[in-house]
Amino acid sequence: MTHESHTISNEVRPNLIKRPSALKKWWRLLIRSKTGTVGLIIVVTAIIIALLAPVLAPHNPAAINPANMLTPPVWMENGTTEHILGTDNLGRDILSRILYGSQVSLIVGVSSVVLAGIIGVTVGLIAGYFGGFIDSALMRLVDAFLAIPTILFALVILAVFEPSVFTLIIVLGITNWVAYARLVRSEALSIKERDFVRAAHSIGVSNFKIITRHLLPNVISSFIVISTLSVATTIILEASLSFLGLGVQPPTVSWGSILSDGRDYLATSWWLATFPGIAITVTVLGIIFLGDWLRDVLDPKSK
Amino acid sequence: MDSKKYYLLFLMSILVLVLAGCGGDEGTEEETGNADDPETTETEDSNGDVEDDSNGGAANSGSSDDRTLTIALGTDMVSFDIHDHVNTSTEAVHINMFNYLFKRDNDSGEIEPDLAEDYEVIDDTTWEITLKEGVLFHNGDELTSNDVKYTLERVADDSTLLEYINYEVIDEVEVIDDYTLRIHTETPDPALLNRISRIGSGILPADYIEEEGFDHFLQNPIGTGPFQFVEWVRDDRVVFEVYEDYFEGQNEEWDELVFRVIPENSTRVSELLTGGVDIATNMPPSEWDRIESSDSTYLAQEVSNRTMMVFVRHTEGYPTEDRRVREALDLAIDNQAITDNLLAGAGVPTITRVAPGNFGFAEHLYETYNYDLERARELLDEAGYPDGFEMTLHSPRGRYLQDAEIAEMIAGMWSQIGVTANVEFMEWSSFVDMRSAGENEDAYILALGNSMFDAANALDWYNYERFEGEIDYHNEEVEALLDEAAQNMDLEEREAQYIEAQELLAEDVAHPVLHQESINIGVNENIEYQPTMDEMIYVDTISRR
Amino acid sequence: MTIKFLLRKILQILLVLIIISFIVFGLVYVAGDPVALMLPDDASQEDVEILRESMGLNEPFIVQYGLYLLNMLQGDFGESYRYGQDAMSVVLDRLPATLELAIVSIILAIVVAVPLGVWSATKKNTSLDLVATGAAVIGKAMPNFWLGIMLILIFSVTLSIFPVSGRGTPAHVVLPAITLATGIAAEMTRLIRSSMVESLSQDYVRTARSKGLRSRMVIYKHAFRNSLIPVVTIIFLQTSTLVGGTLITETVFAWPGLGQLLIQAVNTRDMAIVQSSVFVIAILVILMNLIADLLYRVLDPRIKSK
Repeated sequence: MTHESHTISNEVRPNLIKRPSALKKWWRLLIRSKTGTVGLIIVVTAIIIALLAPVLAPHNPAAINPANMLTPPVWMENGTTEHILGTDNLGRDILSRILYGSQVSLIVGVSSVVLAGIIGVTVGLIAGYFGGFIDSALMRLVDAFLAIPTILFALVILAVFEPSVFTLIIVLGITNWVAYARLVRSEALSIKERDFVRAAHSIGVSNFKIITRHLLPNVISSFIVISTLSVATTIILEASLSFLGLGVQPPTVSWGSILSDGRDYLATSWWLATFPGIAITVTVLGIIFLGDWLRDVLDPKSK
Repeated sequence: MDSKKYYLLFLMSILVLVLAGCGGDEGTEEETGNADDPETTETEDSNGDVEDDSNGGAANSGSSDDRTLTIALGTDMVSFDIHDHVNTSTEAVHINMFNYLFKRDNDSGEIEPDLAEDYEVIDDTTWEITLKEGVLFHNGDELTSNDVKYTLERVADDSTLLEYINYEVIDEVEVIDDYTLRIHTETPDPALLNRISRIGSGILPADYIEEEGFDHFLQNPIGTGPFQFVEWVRDDRVVFEVYEDYFEGQNEEWDELVFRVIPENSTRVSELLTGGVDIATNMPPSEWDRIESSDSTYLAQEVSNRTMMVFVRHTEGYPTEDRRVREALDLAIDNQAITDNLLAGAGVPTITRVAPGNFGFAEHLYETYNYDLERARELLDEAGYPDGFEMTLHSPRGRYLQDAEIAEMIAGMWSQIGVTANVEFMEWSSFVDMRSAGENEDAYILALGNSMFDAANALDWYNYERFEGEIDYHNEEVEALLDEAAQNMDLEEREAQYIEAQELLAEDVAHPVLHQESINIGVNENIEYQPTMDEMIYVDTISRR
Repeated sequence: MTIKFLLRKILQILLVLIIISFIVFGLVYVAGDPVALMLPDDASQEDVEILRESMGLNEPFIVQYGLYLLNMLQGDFGESYRYGQDAMSVVLDRLPATLELAIVSIILAIVVAVPLGVWSATKKNTSLDLVATGAAVIGKAMPNFWLGIMLILIFSVTLSIFPVSGRGTPAHVVLPAITLATGIAAEMTRLIRSSMVESLSQDYVRTARSKGLRSRMVIYKHAFRNSLIPVVTIIFLQTSTLVGGTLITETVFAWPGLGQLLIQAVNTRDMAIVQSSVFVIAILVILMNLIADLLYRVLDPRIKSK
């Protein structure tokens, strides 16, 4: 994600978030963009599904039923309306599992990105604003983290701490913060040289205030752009960790864990892995579309 | 070196493609699910695909002329240090290049001489063994008593070796002459023959190791077996070739033997189905249908020496401290439903850990189980849990056949008698750590093997001291029996003692026992192979059809 | 500037490597020792204690780390308990396999991504662009392991075109490389597209167009060349993602490289191997980033002026 910084950084951006009329403007921009609209619809739907999973799900996602193992989806031979998307190797209803799985996938995706964002933005602001020794020390730390592939990092940490929704959020959060730190640092570097910051500094406003009042609002928009895409990446990463046996553990379900559990059945009972796969793909598509649109809106250059 | 040339060629052709792609007009290909990508490279590769297997890659076997046997394993072998691993699948490979003094016959369960010619028990702690003459190591040296002395004393003396605990009972190996030796044990060991017909007993070439050093041996191991070492590319393959001067005659069937490592289940099955490998081990139940229904493969099964059990805490304060609770939990488990539904019928319900074929096997406790929900509820009521209770069940995931699924199913069965079991899955090493730290809670699932094929090993789990703080099972009657039997040289009496101990344990429902696992191996239709209970892969028993 | 710049870079890299060694050593230390894993399933606590003692694993963290760092400076990365040999040599043995896979993948990714990215940028906001973007997103959304297994089922089991797994002939590398390349190609396509969109909107390109130069000429000669710098950077910066992807791809295809080794090492707590391979990977990534950095400096005059 760091390379995004080349296209977005060093740019002065109007502060859209603070102006109330901005919302209306966004709405107009959104309707004009086909992909943006599609993205928003998908993301909103996914969130609604996650929130309403207990209401929507026809079955308990963890209830096993040996009599009903590997029932195919309703439109196939032997399928029943009882299990619209079929059942898995323990007779659990796949539709219900996917509905519930959306909760964990989205929570892990969003929370870990927020956590990464908080760490990254803080480190980036401090490094960029103070510069000097603090900057180079923090940047070496960033380099170190960048040089270790995320999945490898997660692998080692999760081998120590039992994988759960909570630990996954923490792990993905602390492995992904570097991208934000780099971006925010370069933003902060350019902003701090600008007149209003210098002015604030000269009349004795404290560092903390300058950072929170002046720097933070100015880096928020680029943060939003990267973080949307990061949510998508995280959802996929969670699936990969499930493949390695380090995703969420049963009875908790996530799309990644359903997909991973179904991989032994790809040749014989395709529906186990296909439906969660579709869920992931569609959601990621929606998030990326939304993210692209956000970038177009927030980055005047690419308009 | 051949592969390097090919590789260069391939890289160059790719490069040409790249240049063509950038310079030409083909910049408009679409990326839909990658269907295009193989086509762009396929023409460059197809010549290297099927015909060219000179590197021993995925040799397409199955044809009757093919004298290379390729076997796919799920994990790589660990080491050629036969004393420093405790890994059954490593031993399954070693068995083809080393020989033991004695070898257990899988059909009769008898332990028969292999490198040994004969043996005699001199007194309770002295065994005299004569060796076959004319047995040659792969470097041409003849096997003598000295090699046996070196091998057994190495593992009996060096406490850093992983097999040490199984051999420390051996005090000394005394060389009488080149072909006669005496094994002295510290205490009477009725199971000595079981002990030296398993992991760690493959006889090493003493002179070769002395001259070249052990590290050299590890890189260039030699033994007395039917196949000799060629190369080991870690996490990829171990290659052997037939040894012409094998003491029981050269293997007529195979010239080359390749063990390939393929960790992912579905990949291993795919290799089998496409003829890339002849035999594939550890086939998951989800794939059995596919293997059986294919014209080119079949599924070979055999019961294993591994028994899956639910180990419960007997520590004070845990509900399972009460015999009635344990019996209730056991009665609530429908063992047959587990083997039928999750193991597709492969797996034998039992109530003892000692499996058939082991010394001390109690037949009347095998192929049976107790299931009675009504009685289970009554017992819970009597024990003071009319509304059940909540407990934790730990389970490894992916370690044993369907382990996680079985744990979930058991939790489901227990919920029928009001017991809420929270299943916690753990990655294997964390699971091991948890146990060794004594942090396990009410219960955990484990499937235990027994390479000794002797009840002593299996029942050692019921000794209080051994798992103090982890299980805390304390049954003095059982322990007295086990202690006596361990050194009892009267084999008939010894067997009776073990059977009695098992009866006591079953009555006490020390730990609910689930079933004996099965070995499931996929085999190419052109090959005749029947797996054996000890999970070894004796290539001598594998033939072309 | 070059020598001073390089010296500073090297110093920074050394510092980064020490930080990495600390992070990884700390993590592996917390992960616990392999002793319990080395013993059979039914080993007792006592057995574990005996072995732990004999392996000298009861030293405190700082002592162990200090010793490790000292040895490392002398080029000794410790011994792998699983392989019984120098960990670094085990790791370096595996490196060629992974490099082969990585290089073929990256080339595949470039072959697909560059044309697709350029093409969809020139057709920006048409439905064709949408299809291309959609394809890229789907490529990105497919987890490696799923794609790998599917490719095996289609191209090996059903169509018998490629071997299922292992390494050997050139045909063996095709499916794993496609698996690994897909996600990266998708990412690249998107980045190239946005980079192209940017340069197509530059004034001089517009001027060239208005002067009546043929559209294709403009695209390739001016816009593409200009966006080449970020594209090259992007390719180099994918190293980390690429190496991360090999962990899973190698496992699916039984490819005997660094990725598989690492997963094994983590699962078996083979501390020395984990350390050494993370080190090698980190050096690779840092090296690639350094090259990207240098290229950037050489190719883009704007950086110098800063």
